Amino acid sequence: MPAAAIDWGKLGELVWASAVAGIAVAIVFAALILGATRASDHRRAGQSTIATAYLTLAVLAGLAFAGGVVFGISVIVSK
Amino acid sequence: MSSDVVLVIVVATALVFDFTNGFHDTANAIATSVSTRAMSPRFAVALSAVLNFAGAFISLKVAATVGSGIVEATAVTTTVVFAGLIGAIAWNLATWYFGLPSSSSHALIGGLVGAAFVAKGADAVQGDGVIEKVIVPGLVAPFLAFTVAAVSILVAYRIVGRVRPGPVNRAYRLGQLVSGSLFSLAHGTNDAQKTMGIITLALIAHGNLSASHFDVPTWVIVSSAAAIALGTYTGGWRIIRTMGTRIIKMDPAQGFSAQGSGAAVVLAASHLGYPLSTTHVISGGVMGAGAAKRLSAVRWGLAGNIALAWVLTLPAAALVGGLVYAFSSIFGSGALGPVVVSLSILGVVLAFLGRRVARGQVLTADV
Repeated sequence: MPAAAIDWGKLGELVWASAVAGIAVAIVFAALILGATRASDHRRAGQSTIATAYLTLAVLAGLAFAGGVVFGISVIVSK
Repeated sequence: MSSDVVLVIVVATALVFDFTNGFHDTANAIATSVSTRAMSPRFAVALSAVLNFAGAFISLKVAATVGSGIVEATAVTTTVVFAGLIGAIAWNLATWYFGLPSSSSHALIGGLVGAAFVAKGADAVQGDGVIEKVIVPGLVAPFLAFTVAAVSILVAYRIVGRVRPGPVNRAYRLGQLVSGSLFSLAHGTNDAQKTMGIITLALIAHGNLSASHFDVPTWVIVSSAAAIALGTYTGGWRIIRTMGTRIIKMDPAQGFSAQGSGAAVVLAASHLGYPLSTTHVISGGVMGAGAAKRLSAVRWGLAGNIALAWVLTLPAAALVGGLVYAFSSIFGSGALGPVVVSLSILGVVLAFLGRRVARGQVLTADV
């Protein structure tokens, strides 16, 4: 396979960009679930401070996930 | 008159290819959502069909690049395009029959390469382009998606591992609604444009459109969008079953990891202008999400069959494309060759359908 036909720079960029994006999606969505579930549990247990902290985590993760979705749509639209 | 007939045949064949592309690749977007019960099968295919239809209207940049850098422009005639499309359709149908996910785009490239090779010889094929746009992405996509999905599911289990499973599963099912929709939209934007590009190239070759600026007529956009959406709605259930339940039995977190990682890889590749196959990406993602939990959870024999189908896609579609071109050429350079081939294929398809109807079978089995 002629190495000249391969754009190694772009390939490397693809590998790290995909890895970062994919793992970021997993972390953000898992944080959203963790925050929402724990916030609900602690609110029911009357621990409002911890519930608020988890709720903040859920909101931030939700915003990050929504931002990722919007970015994904913008990539599709601009293709 | 003769060239008008060839043009009509090419347009019709391109739309048939678009339809097979839709039902062949439905699995990419919805298989994991259906298998984790994030969506009902009918809702999933309907949503995917609508988003594929919408996606086809979003952009036209890919349409202008069909075949470029792979086959010499001078080798592309309407008969070469026709033969290439038949090669791609044949491979799509063969892999659908065996329930194996494979790239429709690679099949189309293979068909065009085979037909151009027979028409104009080896010089018509740009080897570097095939390596850069087919072989390297074909090797990179599944391994990259496998690794990203494997790491993603391990991270996800680590974070939500101690949370009650009920809300976790419900949330991941909801997440799959988003990731599956993004996949469908990306697929519609990318794959419907290939058909638009093929039809527009045929119209330019026929003299209906100017070659100086690549303008896709509205009727081409609408018909291509409708064909891929209709194909998606028909649902290639055999491949959906393979992707959704036969490779691994997945839980909602695995389904989301496979789809979410797949969408991230596909969109990162689109952003960088790297041509990855959505089929290769989601298949690698499904295997990665399964293998990270337990290596033996993946049916490696089936995974091997899928990999074999990927290796064979380009040569098999090229072989059929080349044979169709050679057979067409026996009848001269006019419309007779494509007409004879089309009628022969139509006859075989009708005989096949007639036999199935007589036996009381249907083409697409329900899940």
